[in-house]
Amino acid sequence: MRETVNKQETLWLLAFSPAIWAIHFLLSYATASVWCAKISGRDNPIDGALLAILVYTVLALAGIFVVGWLGYRRHRIGNGNLPHDDDTPEDRTRFLGFATLLLSGLSAVATTFSAFVLFFFRRC
Amino acid sequence: MRGCVALFTLTILSGCTGVQSALDPAGREAGTIARLFWWMTIGSMIVWLGVIVLLIYSVRTRAESFTRRKARIMIVGGGVVVPVVVLTVLLLYGLAPIPAMLAPAPPGSLKIAVSGEQWWWRVHYLPPGQAPIPSANEIRLPVGEPVEFHLESPDVIHSFWIPPLGGKMDMIPGRKTRLVLTPSRTGVFRGACAEYCGASHALMAFSVVVQQREEFAAWLSHQSQPAESPQELLAIQGAHLFLANGCSACHTIRGTAAAGVVGPDLTHVGSRLSLAAGILPNDPNAFERWIGQTHDLKPEVLMPAFHMLPPEDTRALAAYLEGLK
Amino acid sequence: MRARNTIDQLATDVEPLKSAPPEDVQAAQTERLLKAWKTPTGWRYWSAVNNSEVGLWYTAATFFFLLFGGVLALLMRIQLARPRNDFLSAEVYNQAFTVHGSVMMFLFAIPVFEALAVMFLPQMLGARDLPFPRLSAFGFWAFLLGGIFLAGSIFFNAAPQGGWFMYPPLTSSYQKGIGPDIWLLGFSFIEIAAIAAAVEMIVGSLKCRPPGMRINLIPLYVWYVLVASIMILFAFPPLIAGSMLLEVERAFGWPFFNPAGGGDPLLWQHLFWLFGHPEVYIIFLPSVALIAMIVPTFARRAIVGYTWIVLAAIGTGFLSFGLWVHHMFTTGLPGISLGLFSAASEAVAIPTGVQIFCFLATIAAGRVVRSVAMLFSMGALVIFVLGGLTGVMVAIAPFDFQAHDTFFVVGHFHYVLIGGALFPIFAACYYFFPLVNGKQLSEKLGRVGFWIAFIGFNVAFLPMHVTGLRGMPRRVFTYEAGIGFDALNLTTSIGAFVLAIGIGVIFWDLLRPKGKQPYSERNPWNAGTLEWTQEMPGKPWGIRSIPEIDSRYPLWDQPDFIRDVDEGRFYLPDAEEGLRETIVTSPVDATPEQIQRLPGPSFITLIAALATGGFFVFGTFHWWWPALGSLVLATGVIIYWLWTGTGLIPEKHEKDAGLGLTLPLYSSGPSSVSWWAVVITMLADFTAFMCVIFGYFFFWTIHDDFPPANINGPGVMWPTIAAITLLLAWASTLLARRWNRMDWPTGFYAGIVAAVVLALAGTAFLLAGPWFTRLDPTSHVYSATVWILVIWTAFHIVIGVVMHGYCAARRIARRMTARYDSEIVNVAVYWHFVALTVVITVAVIAGFPLLTRG
Repeated sequence: MRETVNKQETLWLLAFSPAIWAIHFLLSYATASVWCAKISGRDNPIDGALLAILVYTVLALAGIFVVGWLGYRRHRIGNGNLPHDDDTPEDRTRFLGFATLLLSGLSAVATTFSAFVLFFFRRC
Repeated sequence: MRGCVALFTLTILSGCTGVQSALDPAGREAGTIARLFWWMTIGSMIVWLGVIVLLIYSVRTRAESFTRRKARIMIVGGGVVVPVVVLTVLLLYGLAPIPAMLAPAPPGSLKIAVSGEQWWWRVHYLPPGQAPIPSANEIRLPVGEPVEFHLESPDVIHSFWIPPLGGKMDMIPGRKTRLVLTPSRTGVFRGACAEYCGASHALMAFSVVVQQREEFAAWLSHQSQPAESPQELLAIQGAHLFLANGCSACHTIRGTAAAGVVGPDLTHVGSRLSLAAGILPNDPNAFERWIGQTHDLKPEVLMPAFHMLPPEDTRALAAYLEGLK
Repeated sequence: MRARNTIDQLATDVEPLKSAPPEDVQAAQTERLLKAWKTPTGWRYWSAVNNSEVGLWYTAATFFFLLFGGVLALLMRIQLARPRNDFLSAEVYNQAFTVHGSVMMFLFAIPVFEALAVMFLPQMLGARDLPFPRLSAFGFWAFLLGGIFLAGSIFFNAAPQGGWFMYPPLTSSYQKGIGPDIWLLGFSFIEIAAIAAAVEMIVGSLKCRPPGMRINLIPLYVWYVLVASIMILFAFPPLIAGSMLLEVERAFGWPFFNPAGGGDPLLWQHLFWLFGHPEVYIIFLPSVALIAMIVPTFARRAIVGYTWIVLAAIGTGFLSFGLWVHHMFTTGLPGISLGLFSAASEAVAIPTGVQIFCFLATIAAGRVVRSVAMLFSMGALVIFVLGGLTGVMVAIAPFDFQAHDTFFVVGHFHYVLIGGALFPIFAACYYFFPLVNGKQLSEKLGRVGFWIAFIGFNVAFLPMHVTGLRGMPRRVFTYEAGIGFDALNLTTSIGAFVLAIGIGVIFWDLLRPKGKQPYSERNPWNAGTLEWTQEMPGKPWGIRSIPEIDSRYPLWDQPDFIRDVDEGRFYLPDAEEGLRETIVTSPVDATPEQIQRLPGPSFITLIAALATGGFFVFGTFHWWWPALGSLVLATGVIIYWLWTGTGLIPEKHEKDAGLGLTLPLYSSGPSSVSWWAVVITMLADFTAFMCVIFGYFFFWTIHDDFPPANINGPGVMWPTIAAITLLLAWASTLLARRWNRMDWPTGFYAGIVAAVVLALAGTAFLLAGPWFTRLDPTSHVYSATVWILVIWTAFHIVIGVVMHGYCAARRIARRMTARYDSEIVNVAVYWHFVALTVVITVAVIAGFPLLTRG
């Protein structure tokens, strides 16, 4: 299906991927903190929290991928080439799509970085 | 530019050494961190010089020869691929040592409770199965053994830091924090408070002595003893003056009637390497100055200055305290 | 954020008039425009609200504070030049470093961004002015008043000495003077002004763009300013909330940060750094934005990687909120938390780096013209990159264990801030100066100043990294001789003075009399962006006619652009009614939506700032009655301001904007700028509230029993009754809005009266909970937190009731009608947030104890 240009476009799409990163980050931090403070104590294993962070990470990366894909499709509408700087609805949509795609890439990297804690930490 | 590089090299050559230097490690933790530092510094210098070279190239290059493809390589390669790869490696390398650094010392290790107070250090050695041994403003450690510090503060936030041995850890009212250090060579070092804690934050240091196990054990056993009675006349006078002038309201000298707990324990104050939390040498003259000009030496400190004492009394007190080896 | 356009509108590309209006028509238009936009003269000059005047005052004031902070730094460097120096006492030194940091952050770095944005944003957007000129003026006066109060305190030896980070308990129980109060209240006042400016920037960038300037065409500066302003909305409220808690602890003994009452000093650190780290990027982004404007101009080509830079701005904006704990790596937090924050701190380097490579690519792809502005920009990059790299290093937790709170960090962030903010701002001075008074600065002096400053800077700050790692902690008024700090500190002190000489040269160039110097030619740098349409010297109207934009660089790409603007061939070439007007457009596609009438000069902004400032200043001295009097006065003045200056019903519904476009003169709801301003302001307000909620749960995590077993309150009954009553008040407000729109006055008044009664009753019920269960806020942090939540909510309801009264009065006075209803529409928005606040407060204070007690 070839998408036609929306006559209306919103800016929210730009914020989706970074917002997913933010939610992932805060949830991971909150889970770890509460687990350490309320459940495991300082020097005991925190497997439950780690499992939760793993689940958050999988969900977050999936969500970011979907948003990135939506962005990519907008970016590729018609035969627009970068730098998407025409005063047309098509280029406006392509620009928003490309920016969404890039932000999704960044969010995916940042989310993956956060997930690195899974490799190293078994205790608080 | 060139001047700066030369200057930088010069300062490096002037040495990373020093009793308080993090780049002259004398402990396992400090060693790990120093290694991390050098790798990161080399990497940073390469990146920095790389960016400067690219900047010069960009200014010099002819616009026609800079194709779209080159632009894409510059942005995607330089701005995305290289940073992501470098940061990934760095992050993995940098996160790896954290769990070991934050882990408790193995059971049976020496534990030392340190409390940061405005502006000195209250120290209690906690040998297993013995009563705590009080001291102040000086830390002695056996070489090669992990030591666990229990850190707290009754007033404001301080931070306990012995750069040659390892990183710092804050002392926060209402919380108990923990720091494990493993000295790897003997020597005398210097620690300091790293968190701004009020007027005399700059004047809150301490000496650190890393010794062989036997020396340390002997020292600790001596520290656990009460003070020896003074023999000289002047010092005996000083002992009386100490009680008569109310010093004992704040200071403890074990083996005497002085049992105050507000200020540092002075039982073996004469044996310490420095006075007043690392700001004065330990000699009779320094004691006199401290007793008479307390607030000039350490602004806003809690201890009242005893400048109203006749000089001979001050001298007697100094002789007494200096004799508490 | 929906664009309301039809396909037809999207497809047509509007062209300027084919031929210019006759000369006499042009002359008459010019005269009317000049009259409408005339800057007041004589002593009334200070009543001006035009962005060019306010922006100039604002910038000048921030530069004054820069010099002030700089002098403090030099005094500190004299003190530290030698070990055991006695040039400054500990007491004075500690005030000096506290005030230096606070002034540079709160009175220079952030306000200068807002000042420059006030000055240039309308110009870059081809708008006549910002949407709320009087709000900018108010923000400026509030800033000036607060700034003088804070900076001046050091002359009375009364300045705060808790560091710019104000950690309790040092600043709560251990400093008895008024220093910390000056800091807490003074900066809260300034932050509120900063949020006001941020609201203006956001609405300005989204709603005041010229027709046709779609989201993919806006100048990069505007992108950065938009992102930074949105960041302010979420970054400043945590500090305002924290300051409120700390001031309440100091004044009334509620133990939020005092462990003896169950509080925790770490909560302050969380709130402070939740503000403090984004703040660095709030400073950095608008500064790098200046480089993003300068580089294309001097490379003589469009920016390469526009979208990548937008990615950098937005990405940094988000990621910077995930870094705050890296200032707390040594507080004993769990290792896994350190890992998470290390990760985010590394990730933020990626977007930061991308934009630098975009600049490099632009320089490479263009033909670089030498200029001082470009020199400062390139110097900034060199310095900033090193600061960024040491930032990557300290973000690695184990290294931070050593580097934290040492001179290494001092070196690091001066590289970031001087490279990332000060040098770009100097670049902007040289670049934009012709827009200020039509004259150019001296390229020669600029080059000399640059090299002296650049060399001095590096001599001063490069050795600091070594000083820190050799063990010298920060914030020390002296140091021991012979342990490795002496030579390094002397070098730094010498470098600091060299840097100061360089900055002195630049300031001389800025301030030297330029009377004899000829005016610069128009668009002297041959730039492509809209602000350079300005005449030399500029006219007060901002732009002669508001253009239709087709390109990112209209001056390069749109033929005869300046001629068309000058001859009034675009929109709004006239001021027929003698009123100030600008065009409001849609956020995404910049489709024209409305002509916004803008207010003219007025002293009300100054009076409002003085009255509001009085509340904070008197509060500092704990003079509660004068403070209360000021608050009442401020409320009265602001109501008068709103009554006479906002929501004015136009004499006709719509008017011709030129080029065959007819636009309404009034709108309410999402297409109006005031609706946006309310929503944005309330987002900030709601963020502050959520910070207090965070405090509640934070205390829960650190206590084994929270709420404590021996405290029973506030119970479930009173809060529940309060919630129901207050939600009914909210519903009544919505009904009032609806019935007003249906033009049924009886229904409207009935709705308002019901809402007022219900709101006041609900407030009483809400306060009844903790009151009747005898929660003593001074005894335990649980009670204190419940009380502060209840009081916060009650305070908002009372403001909401005042708003109800205002709406009713407007309707009675026929200043609000069924058609012109923005007052009640905006008040309804406010009440949405109040309702949300009520629900959350009640759920937490009444619901959460049920959960924890089983």
